[in-house]
Amino acid sequence: MIVAERKPVAEIKNSLAPYDKVLILGCGTCVKTCFAGGEDEVAVLASALRLALKQSGQQLRFEELTVERQCEDEFIQEAGPAVGRNAAVLSLACGAGVQALARRFAAVPVLPGVNTTFIGVLEKPGLFTEECAGCGDCQLATFGGICPFTRCAKKLLNGPCGGSRQGRCEVHPDTDCAWHLIIERLNALGQMDRLKTYVPPKSWNRSLAGGPRKLIRKDHVL
Amino acid sequence: MNHPADSRLAGVLAAGGFAVTAECGPPRGADPAVIRRKGALLAGYVDAVNVTDNQTAIVRLSSIAASAHLAAMGIEPVMQMVTRDRNRIALQSDILGAYSLGIRNILCLSGDHQRFGSQPEALNVFDIDSINLVRTVHDMGAAGKDMSGFALQGAPKMFIGAAANPFADPLDYRVVRLAKKIAAGAAFVQTQCVFNLERFARWMAMARDEGLTEKVHILAGVTPLKSKGMAQYMANQVAGMDVPEDIILRMGSVPKEKAREEGVAICLETIAALRQIDGVHGIHIMAIEWEEVVADIVKAARLWPRPGKAEQAEGRSPED
Amino acid sequence: MRTSSLPKITVFHCANCLDPVRVPMASSACDLKFVALACSSMVKDVFLLRAFEAGADAVVVLVCPEGACRYVEGNLRAKKRVQWVKDLLDEIGMDGRRLALHNLASAEAVPAIVDQTLAVLPQSEPVPA
Repeated sequence: MIVAERKPVAEIKNSLAPYDKVLILGCGTCVKTCFAGGEDEVAVLASALRLALKQSGQQLRFEELTVERQCEDEFIQEAGPAVGRNAAVLSLACGAGVQALARRFAAVPVLPGVNTTFIGVLEKPGLFTEECAGCGDCQLATFGGICPFTRCAKKLLNGPCGGSRQGRCEVHPDTDCAWHLIIERLNALGQMDRLKTYVPPKSWNRSLAGGPRKLIRKDHVL
Repeated sequence: MNHPADSRLAGVLAAGGFAVTAECGPPRGADPAVIRRKGALLAGYVDAVNVTDNQTAIVRLSSIAASAHLAAMGIEPVMQMVTRDRNRIALQSDILGAYSLGIRNILCLSGDHQRFGSQPEALNVFDIDSINLVRTVHDMGAAGKDMSGFALQGAPKMFIGAAANPFADPLDYRVVRLAKKIAAGAAFVQTQCVFNLERFARWMAMARDEGLTEKVHILAGVTPLKSKGMAQYMANQVAGMDVPEDIILRMGSVPKEKAREEGVAICLETIAALRQIDGVHGIHIMAIEWEEVVADIVKAARLWPRPGKAEQAEGRSPED
Repeated sequence: MRTSSLPKITVFHCANCLDPVRVPMASSACDLKFVALACSSMVKDVFLLRAFEAGADAVVVLVCPEGACRYVEGNLRAKKRVQWVKDLLDEIGMDGRRLALHNLASAEAVPAIVDQTLAVLPQSEPVPA
């Protein structure tokens, strides 16, 4: 899922300063799963903001609403009436959702309430880890199902580097060395020969480096 | 193995000599006087001088420029190039530029992550890795083409090196990686500094078993310690470094005024031991911010004077 | 608007560790409000915040002793959540010390907890009306 984290309350508070009525709009998909922007988080943020604002004496009324997903117009539309009642929208969706809202409700300021970080998995309760960088050219088969573009801090294709120590990355002692994991995995799969094969430079033109991407499904376009 | 004719370092190694290289860190500023001062301390005592490339991700005078300054002084540089800061376009461009400025040796590295540097907020590049870079430099020289296949007006025929770390994990795989670097085109490697001779000897034995010592010149890294604190710092804080406990104890066993002397003594013992290991073709002295000591070490290790051009051509060393 | 000038403390408690009827006569130094939960893990962050919004000066969460939760880890979850909300209260400048979790062995321990809670209050900024 897409993982995000709520912005610091102080930062959110500052961004709301010009407004007297704000809709806090949650999203029921990715950000709900990582506890950043679902219905529960909308309620908590509204309460926390009200408490914070009491102290500064700012007058601000919040409306709270959550839609299934903010990345699809079909669901965003449902928020129309609520958006119309407010001076601004604080969206707790990922950056894509914030932009989709802003596109549809162009006359109303839409502010981000979370920082969108990565595409990841729930490794165990409470632990979300980054796994995929969306490079557009998946080579996971070469690397035993562990992505060196995402998980190696230096994006090495012929790793590891000299900084790998006891299975940890030089960048942070809590970070696994992806190449250590790749070697272990290929060993378990009986594919150690893959490590002897030279991997040529990655083609980045299908990644974000090549420009923002589109997917068109002609079979769905009427 | 590829020994370009106009690389002095390649010449020494091709003639079967025991090479000596050292390191020069460019200054954090635009004043080349520092480079000239360091160069003057090393001139005549080494076959070539490595010039680091924004080491530890801290902005310094560029490796290519510093290398050019040394070349202008008649000192042969080994230009270090990391893939952290520049994409393939910039790297290839700098390889051409370096060659045009008379630089003939290049050491290909990934580079320290910018997390440790002075500007951790910078975006890193890592478009290609160090082995891709070795291959790129090799192909540019051997085939005379850039990565797009375009025939170059003047092929950069570099003496290509890579780094090797016998002390990083996992040990067995390190030799596989060395083989990969050689297959990609590395003609020489410089290793991380050696304190754990036993582990280094094991790695060398594995390299010999794979026939790699026939295909690449291995220059073992050495660093003279200045203090017990330095030994401890290197042991605990520097990734991929193996400093055995007895070395730290030895550094701590002498009074502070004698620490440097002890550090040099350990270095000389290490060099003597390294010369006995089959397949070690030289040493790379990394005397961090202590370039003055290189001359002392080279002399005390009886590796001075360095072979001149005539001696190189005849395959003699000055000790003959 | 406050109907009395006494500090208000809202006490969320696990129904298994406390029957408020058994609490010895509490001091008249504060207004106590008890909210029972089937398990302390039923306490949600938003309930704690809304208790403050409703006028509480302090909020206490009473849970079963560690190892004694009849749902095994409910009291551990409550502890984690309370810490999360304490950090949030600090972040918004409300002083996380106003919120505390206590493992409760018996109803007799409640007055001491109340006193401890009241003791923290004068050091905290008053909750705006």
